Amino acid sequence: MTPAVDPRQRLVALHDMDEAERLVVILAALEDEAPAVREQAVRYAARYLEPARLVRLVANDERAVLRNGAIAALERQGPYAVQPLESVLAAPADAELAMFTLQVLARIADHHSAAAVLPFVRHANANVAQAAIEALGAFRAAEAVPDLLALMGGNLWLQLASVNALGEIGDARAAGPLLELAPDSLLAIPALHALGKLPAAAVAEPLAQLVCDVREPASREAAILALAGVVAPDPSDPASSRALDLLAAAAGEPTLLRMLQGCISATDDAPDPSRLRTAAATLVVGAPVGAAWAPALAALAAQGETDRIAALLRVRGAQVNALVAAQYREGGPRARSILVEFASHDAITPSMRLEALRDPHALVRAAGCRALGSLQLAESVAPLVQLLKVGCDEERAAAASALARHPSGQLAPLAACLGSTAEPQLLIQALGVLEATGGQAHLDRLLELAHHASAPVRRAALRVLAGLGDRRVEPLLLKALADVDPEVPSEALELLVQRGGERTLDNLMALLSLSDSLRFRVIRALGRLRVARAAAKLEALYPHCALHEQLEVIGALVLIAAPDVRDFLRARLTEPNLELRRAAARGLASLAGAGDLPQLASLAFDDDWNVRNEAARGLSRLPLEETRPLLLTLARDVESVVAVTAREAFTGAPARTWALSS
Amino acid sequence: MTLALEAEWKLLTDLIEERFGLSFTGVRRDILASRLTPRFQALQCGNPLEYYYHLKSHPERDRELGQLAMTLTNNETYFFREAHHFECVARHVIPSLNGELRERPLRILSAGCSSGEEPYSLVMTLQAMGLEAHLPHGWEVDACDLNSARLAQARDATYEETSLRNCDEETRRRYFIRDGTRFLLRDRHRAGVRFFTCNLAAPVMPLGAARYDVILCRNMLIYFGEAAFMTLIERFARAVVPGGYLMLGHSESLIDRSPSFRAVVLNGMVVYQRCAVDR
Repeated sequence: MTPAVDPRQRLVALHDMDEAERLVVILAALEDEAPAVREQAVRYAARYLEPARLVRLVANDERAVLRNGAIAALERQGPYAVQPLESVLAAPADAELAMFTLQVLARIADHHSAAAVLPFVRHANANVAQAAIEALGAFRAAEAVPDLLALMGGNLWLQLASVNALGEIGDARAAGPLLELAPDSLLAIPALHALGKLPAAAVAEPLAQLVCDVREPASREAAILALAGVVAPDPSDPASSRALDLLAAAAGEPTLLRMLQGCISATDDAPDPSRLRTAAATLVVGAPVGAAWAPALAALAAQGETDRIAALLRVRGAQVNALVAAQYREGGPRARSILVEFASHDAITPSMRLEALRDPHALVRAAGCRALGSLQLAESVAPLVQLLKVGCDEERAAAASALARHPSGQLAPLAACLGSTAEPQLLIQALGVLEATGGQAHLDRLLELAHHASAPVRRAALRVLAGLGDRRVEPLLLKALADVDPEVPSEALELLVQRGGERTLDNLMALLSLSDSLRFRVIRALGRLRVARAAAKLEALYPHCALHEQLEVIGALVLIAAPDVRDFLRARLTEPNLELRRAAARGLASLAGAGDLPQLASLAFDDDWNVRNEAARGLSRLPLEETRPLLLTLARDVESVVAVTAREAFTGAPARTWALSS
Repeated sequence: MTLALEAEWKLLTDLIEERFGLSFTGVRRDILASRLTPRFQALQCGNPLEYYYHLKSHPERDRELGQLAMTLTNNETYFFREAHHFECVARHVIPSLNGELRERPLRILSAGCSSGEEPYSLVMTLQAMGLEAHLPHGWEVDACDLNSARLAQARDATYEETSLRNCDEETRRRYFIRDGTRFLLRDRHRAGVRFFTCNLAAPVMPLGAARYDVILCRNMLIYFGEAAFMTLIERFARAVVPGGYLMLGHSESLIDRSPSFRAVVLNGMVVYQRCAVDR
């Protein structure tokens, strides 16, 4: 057979291959010149070639492309390949095969393989030992820590691999040996990277000391990155706090200060400048280091690290409040906006935050709004309403969000935003506040706004009204089902469903008889409400409605779980339309019981990935001892989603459940 | 994300890739989710499956597919982005076509032109380098995009400050008329640019054969799935003249991905030249 010139044709041929020619076609495609064909061949190899065969291809050192394809296929097989790969390690044909096997196991990253891998850290071949060490890091195998520490002082490459692996494992026992490497050794920088992943209690203070003591710039930057990596996740940790105190005490040293300032303003030609800027700024803000504090705060804000700023200012309040107060008095609008929003109430009092609403800069006013939302001060409502009316977009959004956090009883001034001359945009924002806060205060005006000329305003008014118990609301929502704007009926229907109640169900059943643009939503609603008495009517409606309604009928009947729904779904599996078949398979998977095993087994070999995925989902609901062979097949599916769904069934099961022979 | 939700997203992303060639797998899934939030809200869709059903089976699906196209391709750009490509056209491509361009216009395609900043930047560069006088038949710059709203903006040629972020005061003054906070491109710099709506991933695409001397398709192929990528490159191969050029964004590469183009270095950067005969 002459290979097709166009790679797309070769892809089609791969997809259409017969079972008899499968092996030959896959093997050829694994060596195809086009990356897209090779990539697809890997999927098929993972699905159709057993791990033992793939291992034999890995052992063939004369065809590197084929070997690479086999390695990728084994990785794709994941847990399915683990036991065969571990068997290879029991008696590897040669060092190269052992190395590749270890690398594949590392990428599969099944922690259970650690025991099989551990002996190889002392393999005579350094490449094999290195692959074993890297695998143990990928497994995060704490049981390997003593063996990895024992490798310190030996082969430099193995030390490097061990240092990296110890960082990945993150075990505190590694702190001492790694700290010994950090000040001045060939492995100083990798050791610092690794230290940055260890628990704060074990490394925060020694890392702070290194930041102060180390002079060599690259090592000092690495120490800054490591310390920030340890401190930032939880600055309230006592060890982190002591480390920041230590840094603050040493920050008068000019070289250290210059170094920190240099890192905060690192230019784009530095390696990973953004990470370095954030790390240095974190330490300077948290310590604090007064001489570099304002630019550090600005750097964190520029990186979008507002959560980090808030955490540092809160946790380190006692240390930073004096600086906060000074910056708030003397800093620019950017600094003041950050502080008014994130500093503690000890440093920026509620009255200062209220005052911020009159700041000359919109940036500060908007930040003041956001801060006042959490305080819920009655006296902040009037100025917030004023900003909602006249502020810029950012201020209005911030004011609306702040008002939405106030109790409804405080919101009488909001009437000023609901008047007849208010613009739709203002009305919608004010209605959004009322929707969030509830309360009957503006009921009459709300009823008027439900008839406003603007459809978005009508929708917003209906959303507020739907949350109220007034008897006039339900007729209003029903009337809105006939609104001229198509989005209003959809909203009204959704609101009716949320309100629930027997009258709503009666109304929905009645609407089912109307063949209009809303009916598919009515069907969906009946399903969501699990209205058992609608099942027969829905089933009867099915042959007479459009495709989009048929899909909803299938979904609704599954949610209702009517007694004869399985027969209905099985009939749908014979439909010519793929979407109807998919919906039926989805339904069967959701309802799967022991009697559905034959049907699900058949679906597991469907041509369509989505149907196979539903088969995997349904099978995983049944006892594993009955479904294991099918799930093992699906776990190697050419579509990753299907494979992952099938593998999920094995989660929590004993590791050897994957074994092929059991 | 639950596995069931994962499968729903795959249905949706497969449909998008099939219709528009755009790939939203991996981390780009989050970008898609964020962009689709307004559509989900407008249609009251509670999950990706309901939106997928709408696109596949609702009577108004064609209208929504149009909305979807605009939602997905709403990428902002700016004038003189990666301007070295325009200089490359002026300094290397045009001189190499000197003889031919005495008989016909220079023909360029700006594929995925968004709101027109790229084709207009090209025209401005050609004009600034005094090439009007050397091209008796001028130029034809065809510019296409899937997003009709963006194309309307391109034809309008009125821009916000963000589109001019790479323009100094002199450039702004020379090429634009300020209108409050907006900038209107002067008529003279719109010469020879034609905009048309085009889904580059559609089964049939209205690009002529061997028509263009240069195709600019920058920072768009990164959004395409493998199949759509291969299809599109072959379409470009047909649309560009033998020896003509395809210019991609700095993070995109054709090396080892198409037998129809070979990588060459012009003006110190890699561009792709149409091979004379398919290998």
